Amino acid sequence: MKYIKNHLMFILPLMTILLAIEFYLVFDRSTHTYEKGLTEGYSMLVVAKKPVELSTFQALNQHIVAAKQLKRDSIVSEVAKGVNKSTKEAILKALPYFYNLSLDAYLHSSGLEEIKKDLESDPNIKKVETFGSSYKSSYKLFSFIKLTLKIFIVFMTIVSFFLIIKQMEIWKYAHKERMQVMEIFGAPMMLRSGVLFKVALIDAFFSTLLVSAMFFYIKFYWAGTSGIEIMMVNKDVLFKGSDIGILFASAILIVIIAVYSVVFSSKGVEE
Amino acid sequence: MSNVIHASQLTLAYGKGEKEVIKDANFSIKKGEFVFITGPSGSGKSTLLKALYGQLKPTEGSLVVGGLDLANIRQKKLQELRTHMGIIFQDYKLVNEWTVGKNVVLPLMIAGYATEIQETQARRLLKHVKLSDHADKYPLELSGGEQQRVGVARALAKNPVVILADEPTGNLDDYSSNVIWDLMENACQQLDTTVLVVTHKIPTIFSLPYRHFIIESKGVYEVH
Repeated sequence: MKYIKNHLMFILPLMTILLAIEFYLVFDRSTHTYEKGLTEGYSMLVVAKKPVELSTFQALNQHIVAAKQLKRDSIVSEVAKGVNKSTKEAILKALPYFYNLSLDAYLHSSGLEEIKKDLESDPNIKKVETFGSSYKSSYKLFSFIKLTLKIFIVFMTIVSFFLIIKQMEIWKYAHKERMQVMEIFGAPMMLRSGVLFKVALIDAFFSTLLVSAMFFYIKFYWAGTSGIEIMMVNKDVLFKGSDIGILFASAILIVIIAVYSVVFSSKGVEE
Repeated sequence: MSNVIHASQLTLAYGKGEKEVIKDANFSIKKGEFVFITGPSGSGKSTLLKALYGQLKPTEGSLVVGGLDLANIRQKKLQELRTHMGIIFQDYKLVNEWTVGKNVVLPLMIAGYATEIQETQARRLLKHVKLSDHADKYPLELSGGEQQRVGVARALAKNPVVILADEPTGNLDDYSSNVIWDLMENACQQLDTTVLVVTHKIPTIFSLPYRHFIIESKGVYEVH
């Protein structure tokens, strides 16, 4: 019972840190997908006096990835219904060139303003419409969700680190005597810390396994039947095979830091 | 005979700028010698012993043990040096979660001896200290005298070049103390091991010739 309790006291905080890491990975991937969707769905409108090439737009600002010219004929036929041909031609001649510009990322509204300024510096460009207000509100909501989740993840990690520090104190109490005696008789550090490493590595392995199993279950069993649209749509980004490697490497890193801290603080002979 | 321990202008203090415990001490101890170090409480006996097993670095001067200057020794060399030492403590310093047998063969375990050799040696050593039946017991199941005999057996496990003992009989009754002195005398005589004992009082029944140093007013002086 005591054996299980000792392991759980390290496994649980370690699992929490791994959960925080996995949450971050999943969150990062899903926000990336969402952000991509928002970016693809957004475009700014540019009105130019003469035709403009994509390279010209890109020379003005590097965030521009595509420029789609709106068909002038269809604009004229929309606005000049029932007008005779010569008048239509006159309108077409006087009509400026309209472009929908796509960007490479979901930028802050100040970023949009900068693009607008860059475009307007070209005398050929008459007007730039960024649709800033609707863009700004969805960007703010998106940023707020992002920030809230990040704070939650950081908070989880901090609390878990405190629990790990507590466990390190218990380790120190339990292993100090043996490590000091071994040190007196010339045992190298790896031999002195061997038992502790073994215990901690088992815990790291089980923590990784449990967290991976949890997300594996969420991805393959729960997400599909949850009825939550965002989960069902983003099922693929919920857990990836490479995450197991990231989680195990993180667990090992935490274990190495924790064990070495205990070993170094246990050096020297107690009076 | 070559010097196993040589101190020259040795000064010991806990931390830089702290009060010195031993100052400008000069002494040499040869192979196979039995040495007692006495002195009043707080005079620096245990401090000197700590310096001898590399737990405390000399503040000034040099302290050479087994040809290695402990003032400038690297960690790796110090570990190697300690494997040739047998150290005995007043409070035994046994690992309580290990059996007596495992405690005894700790130096062999560190040296990487095979398990079979460790087991054979554990039986031999425990027989030597008359604890053959206690191999599977835990230290806290033994009396103080028995625990110290385990400590002596551990110190002898790898036929050390030098045995350093800090008040080895300080917590023991007369009978147990005599057993410990006998064991250390035998080690010195039969294995030609240098034995250096820090103690309050030299035992009255002691058959071997020995040297006696006294620590007083920060100095280490030989009593003739």
